[in-house]
Amino acid sequence: MSQMLKTIRDTAAQAFEAQGLPTTRDEDWKYTDLSRVSALLGEQWWQPVEKSAMETAGFAIPDLDAYTLLFVNGHFDAEASELPEAISITSLAALIQDEPEKAVELIEYQADAPLSSGVVAANSALATDGACICVPDNLKLDKPLYIQHLNSGGTTHMRTGISMGKCSEIQIIEHFSGDHSEAGLTNMVTAIRLQDGSSCEHYRLQMEAAKQCHLGRLEISQQRDSSYTLHATELGGMLSRVDVVSRLQEQGASCELNGLFVASNRQHIDHHTRIDHNAPHCVSRENYRSVLDGRSHGVFNGKIVVAEGAVKTDSAQSNANLLLSKHAEIDTKPELEIFNDNVKCAHGVTVGQLDKNQLFYLKTRGISEEEAKQMLTFAFADEILAKMSNPSVRRYVEQAAFAKLPNIADLEGLLA
Amino acid sequence: MIKIENLHASIDGKAILKGINLEIGAGEVHAIMGPNGSGKSTLSNVIAGRDGYEVTKGSITYKDKDLLEMNPEERAWEGVFLAFQYPVEIPGVNNTYLLKAGVNAKRKHQGLEELDAIDFLKIVREKAKLVELDQSFLSRGVNEGFSGGEKKRNEIFQMAVLEPSLALLDETDSGLDIDALRIVANGVNHLRSEDRSVVMVTHYQRLLDYIKPDFVHVLADGKILKSGGKNLALELEERGYDWVREEAAA
Repeated sequence: MSQMLKTIRDTAAQAFEAQGLPTTRDEDWKYTDLSRVSALLGEQWWQPVEKSAMETAGFAIPDLDAYTLLFVNGHFDAEASELPEAISITSLAALIQDEPEKAVELIEYQADAPLSSGVVAANSALATDGACICVPDNLKLDKPLYIQHLNSGGTTHMRTGISMGKCSEIQIIEHFSGDHSEAGLTNMVTAIRLQDGSSCEHYRLQMEAAKQCHLGRLEISQQRDSSYTLHATELGGMLSRVDVVSRLQEQGASCELNGLFVASNRQHIDHHTRIDHNAPHCVSRENYRSVLDGRSHGVFNGKIVVAEGAVKTDSAQSNANLLLSKHAEIDTKPELEIFNDNVKCAHGVTVGQLDKNQLFYLKTRGISEEEAKQMLTFAFADEILAKMSNPSVRRYVEQAAFAKLPNIADLEGLLA
Repeated sequence: MIKIENLHASIDGKAILKGINLEIGAGEVHAIMGPNGSGKSTLSNVIAGRDGYEVTKGSITYKDKDLLEMNPEERAWEGVFLAFQYPVEIPGVNNTYLLKAGVNAKRKHQGLEELDAIDFLKIVREKAKLVELDQSFLSRGVNEGFSGGEKKRNEIFQMAVLEPSLALLDETDSGLDIDALRIVANGVNHLRSEDRSVVMVTHYQRLLDYIKPDFVHVLADGKILKSGGKNLALELEERGYDWVREEAAA
């Protein structure tokens, strides 16, 4: 290991040791209790699992025509992957081995970054693998890039960096799943840098096994006229916390964050998002919805910071939540910090049950109460999934999401 | 078809209907007219089974069954249809899917086989023509982004597909321009038949120029004060409602 890489790792390890995991006394972690992670995985919860094999068939999104990167328990599986030739992709493990100066760039830990915490420090110190993806200028990748993460228990720390060249275009699908009954932890940091005029549609599908904890961080940095769209769906795991930090650094950049939580039993799902409008004429759209059943708990915190010079900012945020059970809980908080007057910022939050008028309307058409409720729940959630441009991904997520809802019988028709 | 006897209903403890008596035979078209706040919409909502209305006295017998015992979907299966005064927008549930689910639920209730997608689509296309509804509306979310007139046409289209025995049109004409009114009325007239009864709740005599009723009733202060033929509507248009009230009080 190069000296520089070692220094970075050591610094991060020290930062992690000093900070430990965030606690509920920390304002940003008020509702998400990470002591559950150590309770599940033991005192040495942060130690990554060794490279190990698992049955990988049956987890991939069906009918998806894409290039693939497969990670099994936090390690890149080159043989099972199919990389595009047009763009450069190197695994983090290979970088550490062969190009440590690039690895340094990828795993560097910034203690003062927004929503930074011991979790990110641990990731910097321990990340075993991930991908370094560089899309050259003016290239539109002809197929989506499907990054599949399979877990079968234990802890993984991974880091992926995506650098979008000028006016390049890509569709990326990050998919986390597994069906093991062991406790596990995914700690995933993804950084995406978009240069002038580039565009990235990013699917982040969290469908982990029932006992998995999932900690994610997304850092997006956007230059002039670039556009970024996120479709984040949270379906699996027992505890999931994802921080999304998006920086609109130059004029004309736009980002759209779409999120859907579908939770049941005792699932806990928390997204903290932060959008920094640092330049004029930038646009941000944020749409989060949750459908919470059982004793599940959702947390949404959406912070939007508009800098002094970011005139003509156009920002809209909405968070709507549907509670299907009286024991389900949502904590939602929009936070706007605006430092100039020449902006358009809208935000709205709703928490509720199904609309009585809609229910009655459906019933007068002969739809039973139970079915009417399912249709309305489906429709509520599907408004977020309808924003996905990839039909295979959309259908796959719809089926997975609605399989979680009670008794959706004839789904096919509704999907048409 | 339906017999309403001494029906009293209230909302939040406030009495709205104060003894309605009304009998509608198969194939008949009845118009219920009356001033604002007279209880017209309450009557259609009680018949369709909306929550929040408490029936305090009286009965509704529909096809020899106690209608008030049934929940709204059972009423729909038995052939009751309410065209809403304010049709509800349901984004994400497409029009055709809703109707297919509705039709098949009803068929299941009647012990009939469910319609397959192709047969169903054929019916739907044909009925859409009846109210001059563009095919593109079929795959859109229910009433989502429809204009006022399109929503009302969609109600009549749904009625055509669901083929009810008793259709309640709750102020279907309000907010329609003449052309839209003509289309809607034309749709309803096509659906008139010997075994289908229609109740039109309306504020305006104008509708009755297009759909000729067999009977006209004046509903005011929660009661039917006067009943008559088509000519009663014309008289109401000319003289207003006060004379009916005075006559009833006398």
